[in-house]
Amino acid sequence: MRFARRAWIVVWKDLTIEGRSKETLNALLFFSLLLLFLFQFALGPDRERLASVLPGLLWLGFILSGLLGLGRTFVGERENDCWDGLRLAPGDKSAIYLGKLAGNLLLMLLVETTLLALFAVFFNVDIGPAAPGLALVVGLGTIGLAAIGTLFAAMTAQVRARELLFPVLLLPVQVPVLLGTVKATEAVLLGEPLGAVAHWLRLLAAADVVYVAIGVLTFDFILDG
Amino acid sequence: MTRALGWLATLGLIGGLVMGFGVAPREVTQGNVQRIMYLHVPTAWVAYLAFGIVFFASIGYLWTRSDAADRLARASAEAGVIFTGVTITAGSIWGKPTWGTWWTWDARLTSAAIMFVMYLGYLLLRGIIEEPEQAARYSAVLGIVAALDVPLVHFSVYWWRTLHQPPTVMKPGPVNMPPAILAALLVNVVAFTLLYTYFVVKRVNTLRREHEVLA
Amino acid sequence: MADNWQFVAAAYGLAAAVLGGYWRRLVRLDRKLAAAQVRRRNRPADKIQ
Repeated sequence: MRFARRAWIVVWKDLTIEGRSKETLNALLFFSLLLLFLFQFALGPDRERLASVLPGLLWLGFILSGLLGLGRTFVGERENDCWDGLRLAPGDKSAIYLGKLAGNLLLMLLVETTLLALFAVFFNVDIGPAAPGLALVVGLGTIGLAAIGTLFAAMTAQVRARELLFPVLLLPVQVPVLLGTVKATEAVLLGEPLGAVAHWLRLLAAADVVYVAIGVLTFDFILDG
Repeated sequence: MTRALGWLATLGLIGGLVMGFGVAPREVTQGNVQRIMYLHVPTAWVAYLAFGIVFFASIGYLWTRSDAADRLARASAEAGVIFTGVTITAGSIWGKPTWGTWWTWDARLTSAAIMFVMYLGYLLLRGIIEEPEQAARYSAVLGIVAALDVPLVHFSVYWWRTLHQPPTVMKPGPVNMPPAILAALLVNVVAFTLLYTYFVVKRVNTLRREHEVLA
Repeated sequence: MADNWQFVAAAYGLAAAVLGGYWRRLVRLDRKLAAAQVRRRNRPADKIQ
């Protein structure tokens, strides 16, 4: 109970800060819009070709905006000299990890929903019938991305060249999530039943469990010293 | 002690070359180019072994905070990256005459390549952090993440490739290996494992000396 | 199928270059550190005199 409360305090603090400044959310939404333009310009207006690469583009967009958003997880703490405050917080540090993870999940899901809506409009895709399956796939993929992203963000926050190091460390580790989500999204958008991609969903779920478990178990070592 | 290990590894490698080029017969379907297998398979095995040891040494470091575990992890990761590099290059060179292309997104090639960049990132992280204790702590966490990610990478890449095109028929090495080929392979596996051990011991020694000089 | 000896030679040659290069690096580093250690050991003695 106290554990959950401490995690919640972290979420509440971050949400309050974000709610007042809105700087990360606004920038990320603007960035997704720009990504959409870029994809269109790079691939041309040919609808059929776009449709065939749509799942890949979608997840490329999610990952790029995720890299920007997740990388900022602990920037506020560092810039405002709150890092020691986190370190000195009593009790198990994994509550802080879970709180940060929850905040990141919320942020990313918000950005992803917007990006999905923009894709539906600009690329003329009907995502209505695929929505439940899509929600499951996006949810599973985002948990995996955010779990490792939050851990690595803490790891690179105090390191020089962190803007460079964060994606370089995160991207190779995220290959299973990227492959699984792209394949599953493709199937869901084509109207296939979820059973056809059950092995991918299981892989994503396994990855989520492994990643979150590692994060909870090792966060203490990153923060504490 | 280290020197003896080095000579033992050299001896093993010479034995491996003799077995691979002298004793083992010319493979029937692929020709002599199959002899690259005596390099490719043992280095791949050593790469997995090295990263496995990084994993256990990382856990050991977080558990005990002993510098020795950290040095072992670092030395093993370096050797692992080098052996992964060798195995990928050898596989690629073998692939050109056999598959007709230097690179194909074959399941095993791809997962080896991803492993390669993952542990390159590990070494990059180690190089960037100046404070030794922090570097040890962070890279131990990364070593655990990367090792547990390897099976996930392997499965995902395997499904990604095999569900959309028939699995590659020609694998490095024939399916039913004649005993001479198998023996040559085993000798080389032992030889490269010895070489890896020598590298790690030597590297751990230099890291300890570095620590003593800087202390 | 053709023998493609040049590919075999390339693979083994590259591997030898990479592994040998790493070995040379280790040996050099070892020597450099040993020299530094000797220098360090001698230094306090100088101060005493």
